[in-house]
Amino acid sequence: MDSIVSLDNLTHDYGNHIALDGLDVKVPAGVTGLVGANGAGKTTMLRILLGLLHPTAGSVSVLGHDALTDPLSVRALVGYMPEGASLPKDQTAADFVAYTAQMAGLPAGDARRRASETLFLVGLEEERFRFLGDFSTGMAQRVKLAQAIVHGPRLILLDEPASGLDPDGRVQMLELIQRLGSFGINVIVSSHVLSDIESTCDFVVMLDAGRLVRSGPVFGAHATPTVSVEILGPLDRFTGALSAAGVEHSVEHTRVSIVADGDEVFDMIRDIAASTRVGIIRLERRTLTLEDEFLGMTDV
Amino acid sequence: MSDAVIYDRGYRAYDGSVGGRSVTRRAIVADGVRRILGLRRKTRRKLLPWALLSLALLMAGIVIGLHFAAGSISAAIGEGLPQYAELFDLFSRLALLFIAVTGPELIGPDRSQGVLSVYFSRPMTVGDYLSAKLMAFVSVTSFIYLVPQFALHLGLASLSADGFLAYLGGNLDISWKIAAVSLAFIAVHGGVLAVITSHVDRTGFAAAAFLGTIIAGRNLAEVIAEASFPGARWFSLLALDDHPRYVRDWLFDSDVGGVYALEAAGFGPWVSVAVIATVALGGALWMFQRYRRLA
Repeated sequence: MDSIVSLDNLTHDYGNHIALDGLDVKVPAGVTGLVGANGAGKTTMLRILLGLLHPTAGSVSVLGHDALTDPLSVRALVGYMPEGASLPKDQTAADFVAYTAQMAGLPAGDARRRASETLFLVGLEEERFRFLGDFSTGMAQRVKLAQAIVHGPRLILLDEPASGLDPDGRVQMLELIQRLGSFGINVIVSSHVLSDIESTCDFVVMLDAGRLVRSGPVFGAHATPTVSVEILGPLDRFTGALSAAGVEHSVEHTRVSIVADGDEVFDMIRDIAASTRVGIIRLERRTLTLEDEFLGMTDV
Repeated sequence: MSDAVIYDRGYRAYDGSVGGRSVTRRAIVADGVRRILGLRRKTRRKLLPWALLSLALLMAGIVIGLHFAAGSISAAIGEGLPQYAELFDLFSRLALLFIAVTGPELIGPDRSQGVLSVYFSRPMTVGDYLSAKLMAFVSVTSFIYLVPQFALHLGLASLSADGFLAYLGGNLDISWKIAAVSLAFIAVHGGVLAVITSHVDRTGFAAAAFLGTIIAGRNLAEVIAEASFPGARWFSLLALDDHPRYVRDWLFDSDVGGVYALEAAGFGPWVSVAVIATVALGGALWMFQRYRRLA
């Protein structure tokens, strides 16, 4: 598997605070999620990938270029969407995006044409001649995305692209990112919302307090062997019947967990509940989400 | 059923030509000029710069018109009208206001609005960015100095009894002197502005700090320089706005500014040249160091 980003023992500190602690990661082509709580080191890592920050130790290769010794070659191939406010209020969307294209080396005519095309792609064709100071948060995020792709980069780095968006805007932004992935653009998207990453990305890099928790493919929410049953009525009567039937279980409040494969376990639980005259409020097989995985691997 | 089809234009990778950092720098210069003049911005952003530029051209026109009017009456009257050195006095004040109004706009908003994080994700260095901004600043500001001066130069040439070309040929030194004095004013004001706008985000505050440093700083420095304590004369060097005027009077052999505090303190014009260079270079380095930390 060819990697587009390769980190080798990447370490960075801000004085006494260690932001990244010996990361060894290879990111494959496609859409990759960079997840972690606020302060986990996601933005620091993105800035190092762009060559804007020099790490304390380690090496970084982006699309075959060393980000430490040859940052300009990296930036020529990469687009970046920062997290915070980063738009000039007194420029129109079309002017700003065209200007950022020119800054990437595109001739003025091409830059204006690409700006129009890109703003069309992100759904701002009607608003492109409005001043950015008059834009809503959702529109501003789209402009930031447009400037990140206007020069045709091979890789885009998106820092919390859905931050500050309402639920609709969030869904639309995630769909846009998926769409960019389908166009063959490699994407690294950082987020602290794991469900966003789960629904958007093929690969995930999990960070916690600057340390690598896991890097690997995203499998999506998947079933586990644990069946959870929440009952109404005398709990001890129900668990007693389970024990009598030789079913291993654990109890947490009014919820009983039973580890068993296959669907027969559901029938058995129904029958035991009926025989012990307790009601079933909820009966389900537990699924493991990226969030469960992350929480299980960290001390959160 | 309609036969209409919705086409998704999708995304096409860019396969055209891509220039190097010179293209980037040119783009920043062009954007800087547009920003200073308020072009492609809201109307209220155009008002002040264009009002000041129009005023500069109007004043230049009036002075040249007076020379033409006086020339048709008597040459002696024309000699009493403002010439090159006096015109610098007039336009340096206008330029001071112009720089205070437009200079902070060139630098501050990129930083205060967080746009630097976007710009520096492009293939360019801090030096590229700042040198292009400097180029934009010098291009527009020099317009205020150079256009009226050269218009006056050509006007005086056309009024000359010796003939147009003879006047120009006989006053070749005027051109480089105009350029040198313009550069001196721009260097001092630009250097001070660079230090202030490196730290002050709000353009209004930056403008006030700039004007305060130049105007109040000059008065304060002159007062302290006249005090009797040892070494007081060195404070005259802090009257920054006096240095380009001193150089101007030296080059044009005029006494428009009278006796400057630094002149009274025993400093020659070459000291002013050194101070001007120090302020310009110091301001540029200060800003560069500041932006190296930001970018």
